Amino acid sequence: MSYFFQLVVSGIVVGSIYALSALGFVLIYKSSRVLNIAHGQIIAAGAFITYALTVWAGISIYISFLLSVVITFFLAMSVERIFLRRLIGEPIISVIMVTIGLMSIIDGLVYLTPFGTENFSFPAFLPKTPITFGGVSISWTQLVGVIITTILIASFSWFFKRSTIGVSMRAVSDDQLASMSVGISVPKVFGLAWATAGLSAAAAGSIIGNITGLNFDTLHAFGITVFPVVILGGLDSIIGAVVAGIIMGLIQQFAAGYLDGHWGLYGTADVLPYIILLVILLFKPHGLFGIHEIERV
Amino acid sequence: MSANRWFATGNFFTTYKEEQRIFLTNIDRLAFALFLAALFIWPLFFKLSNKYMLVIDNILIAIVAIYGLNLVTGYAGLISIGHAAFVGVGAYTLATFSQLLGDSHVVITHAWPLMILVSGCMGAAFGAFVGLPAIRIKHLYLAIATLSFQMIFQWVINYLKFFDQGQTIYIGRVRWLTGFVGRDEHYFFWYYVIMFLVVVMGFGVRNLMRTRYGRCLIAVRDNDRAADAMGMHPGFTKVYAFALAGFFAGVAGALHAYLYRGVGIESFTLHQSITYLAMAIVGGLGTLPGAFFGPIAIRLLDLQVEHLAEFAGTILTGAMNLATALKPLAFGFVIVLFLMFEPRGIANWWRIIRTYLKLWPFRY
Amino acid sequence: MKKTSVIVLTLMIAFALAFTWSCAKEEEKPVAEAKKEEVMMADAPQVYKLGLSLAITGPTSDAGNPYSKGVEDYFRYANETKILGEDTIECFIRDDQYKTDVTKRNFEDFMTEGIVFYLNYSTGSTLGLKRDFEEEKIAVVPASFHAGNLDDSNYIFLPIASYSKQMIGLAEYVATNHAGDTPKVALFIHPSAFGRGPVEDTKKAVEKGLKIDIVEVVEHGKDLDNTATLQRLQSKGVQYVICHTVQSPVATLIKDAERQGMVAGEFGEAGKITFLGAHYTGGNDLIALAGSAANNYFWSTSYTLTSEAGPGTAAQLDLAKRYGRDDKAANSHNYTNGVMVAQIATEVLRRAKASGKPITRESLYDEMLAMNGYNAFYPLTTVGPVTYSQSDKEGVDELQIYRVEEGVFRAVGAPFMPEFAMKM
Repeated sequence: MSYFFQLVVSGIVVGSIYALSALGFVLIYKSSRVLNIAHGQIIAAGAFITYALTVWAGISIYISFLLSVVITFFLAMSVERIFLRRLIGEPIISVIMVTIGLMSIIDGLVYLTPFGTENFSFPAFLPKTPITFGGVSISWTQLVGVIITTILIASFSWFFKRSTIGVSMRAVSDDQLASMSVGISVPKVFGLAWATAGLSAAAAGSIIGNITGLNFDTLHAFGITVFPVVILGGLDSIIGAVVAGIIMGLIQQFAAGYLDGHWGLYGTADVLPYIILLVILLFKPHGLFGIHEIERV
Repeated sequence: MSANRWFATGNFFTTYKEEQRIFLTNIDRLAFALFLAALFIWPLFFKLSNKYMLVIDNILIAIVAIYGLNLVTGYAGLISIGHAAFVGVGAYTLATFSQLLGDSHVVITHAWPLMILVSGCMGAAFGAFVGLPAIRIKHLYLAIATLSFQMIFQWVINYLKFFDQGQTIYIGRVRWLTGFVGRDEHYFFWYYVIMFLVVVMGFGVRNLMRTRYGRCLIAVRDNDRAADAMGMHPGFTKVYAFALAGFFAGVAGALHAYLYRGVGIESFTLHQSITYLAMAIVGGLGTLPGAFFGPIAIRLLDLQVEHLAEFAGTILTGAMNLATALKPLAFGFVIVLFLMFEPRGIANWWRIIRTYLKLWPFRY
Repeated sequence: MKKTSVIVLTLMIAFALAFTWSCAKEEEKPVAEAKKEEVMMADAPQVYKLGLSLAITGPTSDAGNPYSKGVEDYFRYANETKILGEDTIECFIRDDQYKTDVTKRNFEDFMTEGIVFYLNYSTGSTLGLKRDFEEEKIAVVPASFHAGNLDDSNYIFLPIASYSKQMIGLAEYVATNHAGDTPKVALFIHPSAFGRGPVEDTKKAVEKGLKIDIVEVVEHGKDLDNTATLQRLQSKGVQYVICHTVQSPVATLIKDAERQGMVAGEFGEAGKITFLGAHYTGGNDLIALAGSAANNYFWSTSYTLTSEAGPGTAAQLDLAKRYGRDDKAANSHNYTNGVMVAQIATEVLRRAKASGKPITRESLYDEMLAMNGYNAFYPLTTVGPVTYSQSDKEGVDELQIYRVEEGVFRAVGAPFMPEFAMKM
């Protein structure tokens, strides 16, 4: 039975990391209706910045974590300013393709640094012994990851619900023209959306980097891995990202724990999310929590 | 139209039929015929090395694939992030035959035109199947559906023993009238085959767009509710667009398999899908010339950057990273810059030049 | 409007020029070749052309990058120290981003350039181009040690023992050193043919009497948490996990195991798990990724490591220093790997030249096949001699087991040949 609970706990842990990674997609989509395919690369960049600050500049990891979050905040904002500002009002495929181009550009930039081809790992800064409770264990790194995720997601929810800027971001996502007419600067809102997404990406990157070690391939693949999560939750729902993240985490753990090795099945954890994704798209196209665009065809 | 069909200028039509012509003047027709003839004749006089022949064949295959992507994404406005998987379906159809019958079975070596057709149909079937969600969903959600098809395809190929888990499955050499096509004339032979298909399919696409079946794609792209009101079924139109795209992709896949004499999963990954999208965009979405310009531009860019990187490597010895980083950087910048400054792609330049030449020496 | 059309026209012309340039370059070649032949007539120093296509960017570039540096450095060294006398080697190194299509293009290009020996990289492209190697009759040394490379092939030569042999070697090591009953082993593998291939061979070895019990074969995904997998393995009494994949998943696995306190401090410690792995799971990259969790990790390869100083490693470090490589590259086993395949290529060139034969693909291939018995090649960078023959296309047959002690790989015991692998 403890095996089952371990799967549940692991699923929740992995799921919350998924949720944090998915958050970046949601934040951008929520205000500007853009799907940022380069998100995985930004996650990787965030992790590398944290590492560079910690190890090469010798700053304490807590401070460098905060610093890297701030840096990616501005980086993502400038990415929006330089590449995406011009494309406001262009068809959706153009914007998606720009993010694909961006992906390639960030790849190229990372290959200029040692991170492109070498492997690194964060210095250990948390106690190694895991927290064990009734045969179920969770490591400190994972626990801290979950805590950071919770804090970030809670504050984003608050931000969108209560703060003036948050409300204006929601307004923009609802109707750009109407929000412009009440004096909201749409470009600024877009910039802010990207910036916050960058912030969450750096946080996600640092956490994943701590768990897997820093390998560019592994890190940027995360951008694609969390797609099913984003869709399951609904592209524009923060709560959706959390719930879907945890559901996907659980499904993957159960698939790996109970399906693999039986009936000649292997590696199901990798493909199952996409199968579920297709099924969801057929029956609940806007995800669990996504807003239904009422539009009869 | 004026009586003289050689030197007509301006748009003057008396019937719709005239407006629908592919070639507006006889000069157009003549120029095109000459161009076609040149395309078929030049390899006889101008021997290229295997590498460049392979590059050209590869571009031509990409053109076939982009015909399909252009139909679904350009004309019908449905983003497909899984086009390489459809190409893969075509290639793996051939691989299935190879696995079942042996790689040099008569069916594969002699009946290769049939095999190419079968692969195309298989691609169409898969395209229609993956397009099914389009009945219910649109936009980004649909794009994600194609992405998940891509991922599931990769997983299935990697998983199944039957497909050697993604390792290369060999395809035998084909037979032509004079005997088996040897290594020396391999690329040369396939140049002609693929070029023939490119021309035929190009006319096919051009003609499709003159019929109601083609126009309904555009109608659904521009406004699916209005299209519905006009009596088209947007859902089925989209499925049909996916099926068409799948057909072209399947043919491209079979050609790829024959050209490379093997099928391996590396050629049909997500990265390839993205490259196809980039080709379609750089060429110009929703235009026929775009399908030619895109693959040519992207593949040549790749080559040029490779040369440049090698050159940079010789000057900056030790700075290997710089040279290798150039490739993704150049690829990314080309996509981004095109979208920012010329979202209608190279096809738009082509249009501008044509208009300019047509009106020359007048301004308008 | 006019301005736009001018810009557009300029761009079009630039494009057309670029295209003609790439074709024009092609035309020049025959002329250059003709010139070269004239030069050859005059008995001047010759240039032998070699080709290497590998992934310097893209997937597995962490291995490909130092590998390319190793090859590049050794050929430069060979030219500068005049190993081939006045003759020189020109090796084209090209990035294929792990794409078979690009590898094929590179290969065709190299063939036009007239290469006499080819170095390849990934499993996928080696298998994909196997038929071309056969038709062109050119000796090929890939960086992939996949046993399947050798099926129906005459021209592919693996530099060291295949993955299958390595896995069987590790299993044998477990079987001989385990105290008590039949050891329970799990295999942790890459979800592809690269990972699955050796599993079947290992199972065959078990059928032939290798005393291990394969409890489970785990194929990893992009897992962030392996706790459950590890607990399951432990509850089944698994004491050894043999990994065959790339470093990153192994790092995640052993980091999780470390957190659970499952990593054995010594080989075969009761109630804990000892992790072992084949060539591409190990090296300094693993330590870089996994940190302290890598301790007591057992790794098999046929290369000498700089952490175990010897003549080979000293030469390697000197080489890296000579060409200004950083420490990371200099100490990478992939750098060693690159140096070693370049050594093989240089050696066959030297031998063919010494025997007075013209340097052609055939003569080099013959030299490769003759590399056995007293003719074996000792490259210093491996733990045993490189031997090839018509029936043996795996270069170094000896394996060395290394173990991580306090963050560095240390040799365990002497190099050995896996007994059961020889039986197959």
